[in-house]
This record gives sequence, structure tokens and C-alpha cells, in this order.
Amino acid sequence: MPQLDIAVFAPQIFWLAVVFAVLYIFMSRSAAPKIADVLKKRQDTISDDLAEAEKLQASAEEARLAYEKSQEDARNNAAALVLKKREELKAEAETAYQKLSEELAAKADEAQAKIDAAKQKALAEVRDVATDVCSDIVSQISGLKLDSKVVSEAVDSKMTKGES
Amino acid sequence: MASPLDQFTVIKWADIEVAGYDISFTNSSAAMVASVALVALFVTMGMRKNALVPGRWQSSVEMCYEFVAKMLGDTAGPDGRKYFPFIFSLFMFVLFANLIGMLPWLHPFTFTSHIAVTFAMAAFVFVGVTLIGFITHGFKFLGFFVPHGAPWYLLLILVPIEIISYLSRPISLSVRLFANMVAGHTMLKVFGGFVVSLSALGAAGVVGAFFPLAFIVALTGLELLVACLQAYVFAMLTCLYLNDALHMH
Repeated sequence: MPQLDIAVFAPQIFWLAVVFAVLYIFMSRSAAPKIADVLKKRQDTISDDLAEAEKLQASAEEARLAYEKSQEDARNNAAALVLKKREELKAEAETAYQKLSEELAAKADEAQAKIDAAKQKALAEVRDVATDVCSDIVSQISGLKLDSKVVSEAVDSKMTKGES
Repeated sequence: MASPLDQFTVIKWADIEVAGYDISFTNSSAAMVASVALVALFVTMGMRKNALVPGRWQSSVEMCYEFVAKMLGDTAGPDGRKYFPFIFSLFMFVLFANLIGMLPWLHPFTFTSHIAVTFAMAAFVFVGVTLIGFITHGFKFLGFFVPHGAPWYLLLILVPIEIISYLSRPISLSVRLFANMVAGHTMLKVFGGFVVSLSALGAAGVVGAFFPLAFIVALTGLELLVACLQAYVFAMLTCLYLNDALHMH
């Protein structure tokens, strides 16, 4: 087995020491700090970015809340406005209705008065006609000349009887 | 036919001798240099943009970094953080050494299959964590060998056992990596030898050679897993030993 040849021990151990010392110095002075630096920088960047993202998220959340609040306010305002307008319109409609019905009632009363007057007039005319006709009929049949006053009294009594 | 163990032979590329010590540059040294160079290249090129959003390459480097950092943090806690460059170097060094050893065509040398190398690393770790233990806790660190709540007569047996198990740590740590790499590479070579010798037997042999060939393909996948796993285990156990030294029990 060539490994057991004592003659090869010394040169191998010497070169091992030299070469490994070089590697160790390279690693400890240059490579390891450099890698550690890069890793630390990355870690810092990541945590910075995360903090920034958290901050932005918080402000976004704030903006959302403000937006929601303003929306809520606007909705409430609109509802109040609609309610107010509706009340106004309702009151307006009521007054208009009131006015119209008063007018109509006045017109109806007037018309009723006219009808009543016409009726009175017609009745009066009917009485006159009836008195005349009665007088004529009596004079035709009996030849008696009746006093118009008597006739009209008789007609009146008959008519009031008929009316009742 | 070449022995399956020939792949572990150290070949001198340049004879160097300093003060009577042989420090020749060998294929093993070349593999070590290549391993470090590739680790450095992998890390440097991966991190050259220092991008906030990493590309694939940078992601791989960061993944290795975070993997080792997590392993160290989970086992040794925050106190172990200053040893991170060492653990990271160790993990990447062993990982790249094992993976370079898995490259075909180039016949690269797998220096983690040499007990001298793995034991040198394990011994360094062992001596290092023992020193850290004594520096952190002073002589109280010797209390590490005394299990809590055991009656005194049991301590007579338990303390030697604890000491032996502590002293055997560098052996188990080095032999685990060494044996895994040797076994895997030897097995690949043995089955590769089957393919060659079966093919020499004519048409039937060539057909039959597909069975060991298929086995080699599967085994290569397994060895890639072992390469990563053993680098992980080596670094992980180093973290555990470090934790023992920093926090005792």
C-alpha cells in the first residue's frame, strides 16, 4: 500500500500545511467576510423592504378607512336630503290638494246655489202657470170668474201638500 | 496488470530538499494546489458581482457558506463563529479534494486517500480544539473526562475510558476519511480491471464486461455521494469537537 510508505509523509504534510494555510488566509481575510457582507446586505435590504411594505400597507389601510368613512357620510347625506325633499314635496302636495278641494267645494256651492235659484224660479213659474190654468179651467167649465188670489191660495196649498 | 492500489502512488514531480527534509513537489502536492486553486476560483468568481440577487454561481457559493455556517451554529453555537473560516476552509478543501479525485481521464491524485494527510489534518484539529479547551476553561477542562453524577468507584473505570475515547478522536477522524476514499477508489479500479480482463476473453467477454461496467457507473454515483458526505462528516465532527472544547458537556 503506497500510503504506508513513510518517505511520502513529510512532503505531503509540508505541502498540506502550506496550501491549507494559504486557503485559510484567503478565506478568513477575503472570501468569508465578503460573502458575509453580501448576505448581511441582502438581509438588511429584505427587512428594509418589508418594513417599507408594512408602512405602505398601513397608509393604504388608512386611506381605505377614510374612503369608507366619506362614502358612508355621503350615503347618509343623500338619505337625509331625499327624506327632506320628500317631506317638502308631500307638504306642497297637501297644500295644493287643500287649495284645489276648497276651490272645488266653492264651485260646487255656487253651482248648488244656481241650481236652487233655478229650482225656485221654476217652481214659482209652475205656480203661476198652475194658477192661470186653474182659473181658465174653472171659467171654461163654470163660467165663473174666480178671484186670482183664491186660486193661487188653493194651488199653493195643493203644491205644498204634494211637495211634502 | 497494474495493481488497483497503484493509483495511490506518490510521484515526485520536482525534487526539493530543505535542511535535510524532503519537501518534494509531488502529484499529491499538485492535487492540493489544484484543490485550493479551485476553491478560490469557485468562491472568487462566484462572488465577483456581489449581487443582491444572486446568480446561479453566487447562489452555490452562498449555499456552501450558509451550509457550513448553519452546521457550525447548530453544533458549536455563537461562540464557534470565529472559527468559521477554518471550518469553511476545511470543508471546502476536503470536498474539492474528494471531488477532484473523482474526475475521470486525468487520473488525478486523491490526497484524502493518504493517511498521512488525513491524520495531519485530524491531528491539527485535535491539538487545536484541545488548546482551545484549555485556553477557554483552564485546568477545569480536565473535568471534561469526569462524567457528571457517576459514583467514585465507577470513575476509576470511566475516566480512563473517556481519556482513551478522547485520544482516539484524531485516529477515528482521519481513518474514516482515509478508509472511505481508499475503499471507493480501489473498488472502482478493481471493477475497471474486470472490464479489461473480461474484454480480453473475446466476444462473450466483451458482452460480459458490460456488467462490471454498469456497476462502475452506479459506484461512481455512490462515490460522488461519499465524497460530499465525508467532507461533511469531517467538518461536522470538527464542529462537534470544537463545541466540546468551548462548552465542555
